[in-house]
Amino acid sequence: MNRISARTLIAHHLLRAALLAGFALLIVYLKQRGELSLFIAPRTEQAVKLSALGMYGAAAYQAYSAFRLWRDKRLDDACDCGHDHAPSPSLVRNILLYGLFALPLLLGFLLPHAPLNSVLAGQKGVSFTGLPTPASAAPPSSDTSVLRGSGSNNGTSSLDVLFPADEYTQAYAEFAKRLYKQDRIVVDDSLYIETLTALDLYQQPFAGASVTLTGFVYRDDGMRDDQFAVSRFAMNCCSADALPYGLLVQSADANHYANDSWVTLTGTVTTTEWRGESVIMLTADVITPAAVKDRDAYVYPNYEFDLSP
Amino acid sequence: MRLWLLRWSPPVLTAGCAAMLALIYINRQTALPSIGQAELNAFTMLFLGVIFEALPFMLLGVIVSAVLQVFVSENLIRKLAPRNPILGAAFGGLLGLLFPLCECGMIPVVRRLIRKGMPAYIGITYILAGPIVNPVVFASTYTAFRGQLHLVYERMILGFAVAFAVGLILHRYMRANPLKETVHTAEAHTHHHAGHEHHHHDHHHGGHAHHHDHHHGKQTFGSRLVSTLGHASDEFFDMGKYLIFGSLLTAMIQTGVDRSSLSAIADSSWLAHLFMMGFAYLLSLCSTSDAFIAASFSNMFSVGPLLAFLVFGPMIDLKNTLMLLSVFKLRIVLAIIALTAVLVYVSTWVAGALHG
Repeated sequence: MNRISARTLIAHHLLRAALLAGFALLIVYLKQRGELSLFIAPRTEQAVKLSALGMYGAAAYQAYSAFRLWRDKRLDDACDCGHDHAPSPSLVRNILLYGLFALPLLLGFLLPHAPLNSVLAGQKGVSFTGLPTPASAAPPSSDTSVLRGSGSNNGTSSLDVLFPADEYTQAYAEFAKRLYKQDRIVVDDSLYIETLTALDLYQQPFAGASVTLTGFVYRDDGMRDDQFAVSRFAMNCCSADALPYGLLVQSADANHYANDSWVTLTGTVTTTEWRGESVIMLTADVITPAAVKDRDAYVYPNYEFDLSP
Repeated sequence: MRLWLLRWSPPVLTAGCAAMLALIYINRQTALPSIGQAELNAFTMLFLGVIFEALPFMLLGVIVSAVLQVFVSENLIRKLAPRNPILGAAFGGLLGLLFPLCECGMIPVVRRLIRKGMPAYIGITYILAGPIVNPVVFASTYTAFRGQLHLVYERMILGFAVAFAVGLILHRYMRANPLKETVHTAEAHTHHHAGHEHHHHDHHHGGHAHHHDHHHGKQTFGSRLVSTLGHASDEFFDMGKYLIFGSLLTAMIQTGVDRSSLSAIADSSWLAHLFMMGFAYLLSLCSTSDAFIAASFSNMFSVGPLLAFLVFGPMIDLKNTLMLLSVFKLRIVLAIIALTAVLVYVSTWVAGALHG
């Protein structure tokens, strides 16, 4: 084995200290700028901030190792304890290794960050049907004799006819009944996916209902000129698992709204065919530009949904 | 092949990325629209997102591993681990319930445990089953598939069953020590096997014997813990390169591959299984978040391929292959991958067929 000089080892420790501290600083920097939530879900943020602390510690240890080497002028104190982290003697490999660590730091510090948008939505494919629900679920009743609007006056039994459910969709049925009683269904950020799923599950009873939602404009191949989608990215843990959910919209003014512009839209529920499936489509009544802060761009699955009454 | 892969793939990709970055900067100044700001932004989002999400788990894994190193004696592990191979494989398969570490954190822990005397087949069973049979992953899968709860249970059961079977087969046929020993560590290992593992962190390049005895009497439990935790920072750096490389690939694939072009594959059952396993392999997602990716495919793929994705991905993926290769010998890693792939393919195919 090639002996590595003390000076080289000091350089390695200092570089490692700098890179580890860099990651800790990057987390703090992004948090300060309010951009950390673009990368990870709020519920994991605490853990990530704690890990920044851990990396400060690790960086401090590396710096201390460098200091000890420098003070003692001996190789003995290097941590070389039988693991494969002893630095490689090859300069090229080292440059590339440290480059690999530096890459996320450079991207993180130097580039401006924006929420995921329609470009990635196009790659991932927007879901217009909310969360998947089992095929075995009872299909929504096609009994339209109970007219919309009289719902609040009807007894529970007619609602049960409109919103049939099995054990898997019970929570959605209950939620849909509550939505059904509202004059205008406002898709709340905290229940975004759940609302879209309920609408999709009970397309028939909701036909004609007025729905308001906020999201970014997205177009997909196969949409007509007067169509677009209003979508949000739903994030579970981090941006890599974020998936776009939205509703198809029909509007005569569709061409006024560029991709990725944020809008708040109120429309009337109809259904249409989309790639062989029946999906909800909103016929736009009112479209207004929306100013949504970057940190509010994502929505998250609601973990209390099944538990709420 | 392994050396070639390890040596050249990260550098090549890094160089490729650096070139891409350079291109983008040039493009911005000359206003050429070939590589968009949006794609770069999406790439950065996914790349850093995966790293950030995995950091706490990895750190936790490294710390647990350091603590195990100091506090858990070889004897205790030997006592805990059952002698009976069936019980042993079951023990490894359920260990995730006690120590719910993710893949990134698990491998250093297992390396340590095996060095401490835990039978290797139990450690490997834990590596395979741990990322599935654990409460965090159960919760996330439950959230993603609450409409198809049978899928959640099937994921847990198949995850355990496949790991259990691989564990038993390894117990039967694996004879040599599966841990890798690189040239520059051989020296330290000699000491290690001489029975001084608690202190092998204090070994020094020159004058082993003197230093060793010197430290032996003096060091307290606390100072040993501090030095071991400090040493964990080296291990963290060591594992970090695999995480970053895996995240880099994941981000590239996710921003580069159009998912709607996959639908043709979904129509063929055997191809769909293979495809979803390969996809899970390349994506290298953390098992706490992959259920949501799988859920996004559930309108395209049936139960069998989804299960293949959910069971194979956490056990074997690109990121953890690189990590396995850093710890285990090439032959063992290849055997584990082949066994797991076949077992997952067959069992998820049967599960899918049962659903009709």
